[in-house]
Amino acid sequence: MTTNVRKATGRVIATGASVALLAVASIGIEASAAATLRVGWNSELSGAWTFTGGACLDAAKLALDEVNANGKRVELVIQDNQTNPAQAAAAARLLDAQEKVTLISGTTNSDTSLAIYGFAEDNHLPFLVPVAAFPRLTKPGTRETFRMEPDAVGWGYVAAKFFKSLKPNATIGIMSSDFAVNRAILAGLKYQAEKDGLKIVSEIVFPQTATDATVQVAQMKALHPDFVYVAGASAFDATLTHQLIDFGFKPEQLYHPFGAPKQILAWGESSAGSYYGTFFDHNLPNLTENGRRFVDAFRKAKGYSPGYQENFCYATVHFLGEIADKASAGRDQAREVLRGADSKEITTGVPIQFDESGARTEYMYVMQLKSVGKDDFTATKSSYLEWSAKTLPIYDLAP
Amino acid sequence: MDGYLVVAASVIVSGVLVGTIYAVVAAGLSLIHGTILMPQASNGQIFLGAGLVLWWLQTQAGWPLWLAVPAVIAAGLALVFSLELLVFRRFYARADRSITYLVVTLGLAQMLSGLYIGAFGRISDTFSVPPPARGYAFIDPTPVSNARLLAFTAAATVLCALIAFLRLHRFGRALRAVFQNRDVARLRGIDIISTYRLALGLGTAVTTVGGMLYAVAFTLDLTVGWTMTLITFSIMIVGGPGSVLGALCVGLVFGFTQAIVSVFADPTIATFAYLLAMLAMLFLRPNGLFSR
Repeated sequence: MTTNVRKATGRVIATGASVALLAVASIGIEASAAATLRVGWNSELSGAWTFTGGACLDAAKLALDEVNANGKRVELVIQDNQTNPAQAAAAARLLDAQEKVTLISGTTNSDTSLAIYGFAEDNHLPFLVPVAAFPRLTKPGTRETFRMEPDAVGWGYVAAKFFKSLKPNATIGIMSSDFAVNRAILAGLKYQAEKDGLKIVSEIVFPQTATDATVQVAQMKALHPDFVYVAGASAFDATLTHQLIDFGFKPEQLYHPFGAPKQILAWGESSAGSYYGTFFDHNLPNLTENGRRFVDAFRKAKGYSPGYQENFCYATVHFLGEIADKASAGRDQAREVLRGADSKEITTGVPIQFDESGARTEYMYVMQLKSVGKDDFTATKSSYLEWSAKTLPIYDLAP
Repeated sequence: MDGYLVVAASVIVSGVLVGTIYAVVAAGLSLIHGTILMPQASNGQIFLGAGLVLWWLQTQAGWPLWLAVPAVIAAGLALVFSLELLVFRRFYARADRSITYLVVTLGLAQMLSGLYIGAFGRISDTFSVPPPARGYAFIDPTPVSNARLLAFTAAATVLCALIAFLRLHRFGRALRAVFQNRDVARLRGIDIISTYRLALGLGTAVTTVGGMLYAVAFTLDLTVGWTMTLITFSIMIVGGPGSVLGALCVGLVFGFTQAIVSVFADPTIATFAYLLAMLAMLFLRPNGLFSR
């Protein structure tokens, strides 16, 4: 009897000890898992947007090494969406259901971002967009999506403000390709131009397959606008720039609503003097110590200086590192941390704050190109604007 | 008045330059299809590849233009003759080979497109070759960059040389004989298979030259190969497969239609106006303007 009691007591103690050990172990596992934020990096690593997606990932990996230098705080689970909206949604589903990521990030394209937006909003999966300017991504009512890149309508607002600062009542010619982001930029430009007393003398919109603009440039020249807004799709942007300069437009008359490094190099040395909008440039005077380190490291790795797209990806991963402690607790916590974010971009100190529908506090630099070489260019800051997303009726203007 | 003159002159400049470069690429396609009955759907990708390799050799490897140009042509020829050895020659004897070749070359086009995205798409998304000539000239009163003038001159020279070769050289006459009737050509002692290879090599060399001229006159991106496939197929069909003169005439019609319509209409309408012009030509000559 005594032996049986002893045995039973021993079993109870052993079981209790095992349960206690298991509990302690599982707490340990949870504590260690809680320290790492699992992020689904759904990006354009093949297809038409390979270059942007690849450059973005390279910048993100640089940041990841820095963020995880003292222990793993952020983990990127990488999926290639092939620059295909359907594939982007499928990759988001996989990251959600199988990989159980806490949030999704990594897109560099408005179309794939919109596809993920639908999935993220329906499935309560926080989505932090590094690079995509289409306004609808943060339309009123958006709950899960937050965007690092200011919306495209605002880019047009900046263009109008800049033209006015150079010459009140200036006349503007528009030469641009027909794509969704450009339509949004033009909506902002036209809206603000009317308010600021600028006159748009001609608007020439090319299909995305256009290759030559000789006749249209001649027509534009005949109208003698003070400035020409130039935004061609892909390679046509460089062709358009070359043809405008060949036709006698001074570079100082040309304004590009956005300028990425490879795009700027393709404009060529004759475009020195022209203006472009951007959110980051390696020539900025206000780069932080970390910003300069990023420029050097990226240039060493890739052979060219990073632009705004690479910077958004780099800054996004650093921002994720900042919020990892709280956000890794779960999707609800991640959403709340993003909503209440009050941070600064690690490279420039520009604020990172989101409004109630996930739109970031708007800002933009205007740079003037000074020289273009084979692998690099120099530019100086002409202006910097910061404004609220409510300054313009963005979602009424956006197509 | 000055403004009208500038616009009018720009129509001529644009029409001639664009039309001539497109005619060169279409002539390459037309030579191949007219002889072998091969609708070479990867022609646009070979055109793009030529421009991309020229860009790479000049900007990344630092080769001078005089060395890069023959290297690109040699690379294009090496590619098609490897394909000829492995794939194309297997179907020479088939009566229904056109559709087989279409499927094979469409697959090849997809593979080349993927290869370019993998190889070049990681380096950049736009590709500008260094201009081989600086400054610009005036086609009064319209300024034209010397690089584009050079591209036009080279394109016109290639087309003239091609027409002269087809008319005056015995190999050129053999090609024309096969265009017209391969059975009769065989009876006259022409080696049909060798003529097929000559057409394949000549057509590819001309296409690669077209790709390089386009890269000099404009800027490349990775989508232009597909656009060029559509345009050059249209030019070949309307001009008449096998006819270099047809490619030249229809190429110029294409360039001028686009330029003239640009004066009065939206660029989107102008870009697609050539299709209407081509439909009108096909309505008048269903087998092509210069069909055999």
